[in-house]
Formats: sequence, structure tokens, C-alpha cells
Amino acid sequence: MEHDSIYYGQAIEALRGVIDPELFVNIIDLGLVYNIDFSEPETIKIKMTLSTPHCPLGEAITNGVENVLQDQFPQRKPIVILIWDPQWSFEMVTESGKQQLGIN
Amino acid sequence: MNDIHIGKAPPAWIVLPFYATGAVFFLVLTILLFLSAEDLTRHYFSPHLLAVVHTAALGWGTMIIFGAAYELLPVFCERDLYSKRLAILSYILLTAGIAHLIPAFWWFKAGGLMITGGSLVFMATFCYVLNVLFTAQSTNNHLIHQRFLTSSALWLLVTVTLGLCLAVNLRYPFMSRNHLDVMKLHAHAGLAGWFLQLITGVSVKLVPMFLISKPGKTKWVQAAWILQNTGLILFLFDNHLNNNAGRDMLYAFVCGLGIIAWLYFLYDVFRNRLRKRIDLPMKHTLVSFIFLIAALMTIPVAHHSISAKWTLIYGLLLLLGWITSIILGQTFKTLPFIVWNEHYKKLTGRSSVPLPSDLYNLRILKCQFYIYLFALASLVAGMIVNNLLIIRLASILWILLAGLYAANIVKIMFHQPNTTNENGAR
Repeated sequence: MEHDSIYYGQAIEALRGVIDPELFVNIIDLGLVYNIDFSEPETIKIKMTLSTPHCPLGEAITNGVENVLQDQFPQRKPIVILIWDPQWSFEMVTESGKQQLGIN
Repeated sequence: MNDIHIGKAPPAWIVLPFYATGAVFFLVLTILLFLSAEDLTRHYFSPHLLAVVHTAALGWGTMIIFGAAYELLPVFCERDLYSKRLAILSYILLTAGIAHLIPAFWWFKAGGLMITGGSLVFMATFCYVLNVLFTAQSTNNHLIHQRFLTSSALWLLVTVTLGLCLAVNLRYPFMSRNHLDVMKLHAHAGLAGWFLQLITGVSVKLVPMFLISKPGKTKWVQAAWILQNTGLILFLFDNHLNNNAGRDMLYAFVCGLGIIAWLYFLYDVFRNRLRKRIDLPMKHTLVSFIFLIAALMTIPVAHHSISAKWTLIYGLLLLLGWITSIILGQTFKTLPFIVWNEHYKKLTGRSSVPLPSDLYNLRILKCQFYIYLFALASLVAGMIVNNLLIIRLASILWILLAGLYAANIVKIMFHQPNTTNENGAR
């Protein structure tokens, strides 16, 4: 469990390196990542969403997730699972994300 | 990875030719505008002005819209584009058709050249309509923006069919109706059917996305679709059956209500936006609505005036004001993303990659914005006071504007990734 918590923190930090190219905000602060699962020894399962289904930049974002997690955890295979329920909404943006977006 | 909903934008080589060719035709348009300065002080039915209008509507507006639509259809319909081949075929046919039509109108060669051009544009449109219908058909959610996209495509088909009939009629007269009356129907099917409904549908989806706003007044968009179509259908049928029964203002009013409903939706989106800072491409888009409203205000003047100049100003505010301003802005909300995606989608998170907005020159875009406003204002002023010198000077500004736009397009399209900047901080 302790390891999971350390891994989780490392994964969050790594995922902050994935930026939404339109909004210029990382996917953690946008609230696009719903769950990070280390329960299987050889994989990391990321449940996440996109701000718009079928967004042309969706592939770039999911590639980014795979890239940063592969670099951070070379012994594990990242698996991105896109989900649309719950649908992403502005309420999911963190305070830091709101500041980056210029929202008071 | 779940592959069902992920964006599968068509390859850049399908979309980029539309943008490049659109930029070239925009330059051609501004040069033709300069050469037609004197025609702008006369009646609108002149060979040179017909060439200018068709360069603007087809070479500039429709060319860029086709390209953007092929990129955005998967976003709108939440599935892949139906056919890449049809998309490429529509590009070849549209480009060839316009290349025939412009000289045919400029030197007024009614006959083979004009009819061939019209036929090629018709076939290009048919390919586009098939792609839109089949992409939209197999989706589960028939959302309002999809409905606008579909109806606009069908109106384009009506427009080009009428246009082809007019081209044939010039060489082989078969219409019992006055050529100018049918031309009025052709023009309004294009403006209120194709351009208006497409722009309404696209803006309903994209403006809330770009401004980060939750659309609340969606019933107004439904009302907009009904009113815009009702006004246009009644206008076409009444004019066709009753030959100018004098109810044009009534139909313009109904269509105008549809525009007001749409603009009210956008105003609500704008007011409730989370992203307070408006970037330059969005400013370009937002000012376009001022020109649309200005054009609508000239309708009663043009309707009651015996001078043809107000009809010309009406058309100019729509084509070079409203539509051009949107394209000049939205190009930079779409094209850099397409090119960026091609170069960087596999590198995100791994190395320092630029943002899509870094692909164009912001200083050129700023110049483009202010020169555009000045060029449009001076051209309209020159036409109102009937001053040839002002019109000529304004036309030179338009050429400069098209040059600036083309320079940024070239910069984006020929962007080369800087792979030496690995791990550098942004």
C-alpha cells in the first residue's frame, strides 16, 4: 500500500507533464484523469477522459500519457482506458488549473 | 486502449491542400478586387464582379470550409470521416471547377468553359454532401450542430445546382424566368443556406469549446435552425412560384429572427465563459458578427433603394466582412493544430514540444487583424461615397492582407520540428 501511494504520487507528477495543447493546462489540473491503478504488477491502468469526445488532439494526449508513464515506470506497461461517464465538466478543474486558465 | 471514441482526425495531406489553395484564391480574389475597382461603382451584374464573387464564395470560403469540415466532421459526429477518397476527389473537382469559372466569368465566356466549371463544382459538392451525410448518418446522437451541418450541405447542393442551371441558361436559354431573379435565389441559397447554417452549426460546437463555456440556451439554437430554414424555404418557393411577390422583407425578417436566436445563444456562451482572455483568432471571429449584423441592416436599404450599390455593400459585408473575418480567425484555431498533430502527437510528454499557437507568427496575425479592419472599413466607405481612389487604396490594403495571411499559412505548413531541443523547458 505504501508503495502504491509513492507510485501514485510519482504518476501524478509525471502526468503533469502532459499538456492539453488548446487549453495550455496539464491534464491533472484539468481533471481529465479519474483513476490510476497499480494493482497489477506489470501494468498501470489509467482511467481518464477528454474534454471533447473525438477531439482531433485526443491521440496526442493519450500518447503523452503513455510516454510519461513509460519513462517513469519502465518496468510497467501503461494502459489508457478512456471513459465518458462521468462526463468531464468545468467543476473538475483544480484551483491551480483555474488560475492557469485565468478563472477567478 | 479504448479506441471507440478517440479522435481519428483524417491525415493532414487530405486537409492541407484545401487551406493552401484557399490562401492562393484569397490572393487572387484581392488582385481581382483591385482590378475591378471601377466595377464596384456600378451595377453588380458585371463579368468582373461575378468573377470576384465566385472567387470569394468558392475559391476562398467554400475551399477553406471543405478542408475545415473534413477535419471537424469526426469531432461533430463522434466517428471517423466516411471517405478520405471522396474528400480528395472533392478537392480536385472543386479546384478545377473554380479554375474554369473565374476566367469564364472574368471574360464572360458563356458556354463550354463556364458550364464545365459549374459541372465540376457540382460534382465536388456532391462528393462533399455524400461524405457529410454518411459520416453523420451512422452516429447515435443526432445533435443540433450535426443537423446544421447536414442542412448546410444540402443547401450547397441546391446553390450549385441553381448556379449550373444559370450557366447553362446563359448559353442555351431554357428558363422562362428572368436570369437576375434566379440569380437572387442562387445567391441566397448560398448565403442563408450554405454559409449561414454551416457557420451556425460549427460555432454552436466550437465557440463553447474554445471559450470554455457551458451552453445553456440550446433551445435558441433549435429555434435558429427552424427559423433560418423556414425563412429561406418560403423565400425560395414564393419567389419561384409567384415571381417576386414583394414578401422578401417578411422572409428576411423570419431568417433574421433565426440569426438573432443563434447570436443570443453565442452571447450567453460568451457571457458565461470561464476563459476570460480572448485570443486574437477568437477576436477575429467575434468581430465577424458585427459585419453580419451590419449586412442585415442594409437589407431594407437595399430593398427600397433604386441604387444597386447597397446590394453590392450587402454582399460585400457578408463575403468580405462576416465570412472572411471568421476564416481569417478560425484558420489559426484549426490549421496549426492539424500540422502540430502531424509532427508532435507521438512526442507529447516525452520531449519539449511547442504549442500549436507557436506555429504561426503572432506579430503577422496582429497586423493581419488591424489591416483587415481598416481595409474593410475603407472599402465600404469608398463604395458608400462612390470614390474610386478610396476603393483603389482599400483594394491595395486587401492585397497586403492576403499576402500576410499567406505568409502565416506558409510558415505553419512548412513548420519543421526542432528535435535538438529535447528536455528543454518551455
